[in-house]
Amino acid sequence: MELIIIGVVVLLVIFAIAQYNRLVRLNITVDEAFAQIEVQLKRRADLIPNLVETVKGYAKHEQSTFDAVVAARAKSTSASSVADVAAADGALTNALRGLLAVAEAYPDLKASSNFLALQEELSTTENKVSFARQFYNDNVRSLNTAVATIPSSFFAGLAKVGAREFYEVENPTDRNVPNVKF
Amino acid sequence: MAENNFRALQSANKSKTYFLLAAMGALTWLVAYAVMTYFGVGTASTMVPMAVAFALIGVWGSYYGSDKLVLTMTGAKLITREDAPELFNVIEEVVIASGLPMPKVAIVEDSAPNAFATGRNPDHALIAFTTRILEVMDREELEGVIAHELSHVANRDTLVSAVAATTAGAIAILSDFLMRLMWFGGGRDRERSSNPIALVLSLVVLIMAPIAAMLLKSAISRKRESLADATAVSYTRNPAGLRKALEVLAADSTVVRQRSNAVAHIWIESPLDGQAVSKMFSTHPPIQERIATLRAMESLGPNQG
Repeated sequence: MELIIIGVVVLLVIFAIAQYNRLVRLNITVDEAFAQIEVQLKRRADLIPNLVETVKGYAKHEQSTFDAVVAARAKSTSASSVADVAAADGALTNALRGLLAVAEAYPDLKASSNFLALQEELSTTENKVSFARQFYNDNVRSLNTAVATIPSSFFAGLAKVGAREFYEVENPTDRNVPNVKF
Repeated sequence: MAENNFRALQSANKSKTYFLLAAMGALTWLVAYAVMTYFGVGTASTMVPMAVAFALIGVWGSYYGSDKLVLTMTGAKLITREDAPELFNVIEEVVIASGLPMPKVAIVEDSAPNAFATGRNPDHALIAFTTRILEVMDREELEGVIAHELSHVANRDTLVSAVAATTAGAIAILSDFLMRLMWFGGGRDRERSSNPIALVLSLVVLIMAPIAAMLLKSAISRKRESLADATAVSYTRNPAGLRKALEVLAADSTVVRQRSNAVAHIWIESPLDGQAVSKMFSTHPPIQERIATLRAMESLGPNQG
């Protein structure tokens, strides 16, 4: 009889530990996923000065477009909360589209190898940003489901893990475009 | 919702694999039981573990060293970022979508478009492409292929096929061994068993078991291919990419110059398809079926997430 009680208690403890660990693990994965978004956004921000200089060399009279990109970039590097980062990310994506649309009008620029290399770097980074975003949101979804459903919800307080914020991009068309082609 | 669809497909494929692996276990048990009936418990208790050990050593070796072994068997060469920066870019994109570590990348000089993945765990993963597939596929199609290969890595398919191969191998060794013993009069314990029906039944089991094991092994492989297609879509959220890639593969009639049939199952498109005896022995589901499944996912529309 005692053996049965001890057995049941041991099983319950193992169950509780598993639930606790799962929540903590999910929470860490969300942190890592967000860090990945930031890494890719940083990469994109680092590409921009070079890109602007290259385009400037061919298209001197598009100052307003350059200013918009530079301003959006400055904003994106200072954001920290999920919502702010997402908003700045969306604004910068739009500004970059404007810049690349300008580039369309300059055949010499489009043909330059420097620009082509930058364009490849930029489009892969855009893809990486959107995949990182998707991975983050998937993990937030798993975490939020675990926090809200029984039995894991009982352990959320103990593990100090709560629901997290989705990474929402303002421009709804962005969500459906994992393959950004400029 | 499209999203629920590929998730449902993923879990259905997973449970089917578990069922097949369980069937494999049951088959092994049945063979062991047949051996016991035929030769008496004394002989069986040494032979069953021996056959399992033989198969285990062989498969464990190939599983553990799978990345290096497959490199030699297929003639693939490892490449670095400088060799193919664009390919690496696309791979990195899918790696981020999957949350896996970056795999090693290799190239096989071959005029047939094809690709494969191997490695005992995600940290030792290797994905390889033939030179031809890089020529014929655009970025979107390549992304689908990479997602399919990384799905094999994420789903631990090297392990699953190693388990399937071990049991199939053990069963084959055991049956073969017993048949030989029988011909050369090794069945001295035969008199001990009194029930002739049990004897005949165990003989039938021994003859049929290796075939059944082969069938199960192929069925497991087919399920893993379907699962990898579904998982690939969960990474790229773009069934059209993989669908177009499979169409390119289906339209191309050249096959990879195989150095060994032993590695046939790892390619995205089976190099043995043309010569497969029947669908039941094939390691891949029919490519048209895979295309149709992906097309059905596309028709559900783009999904948010």
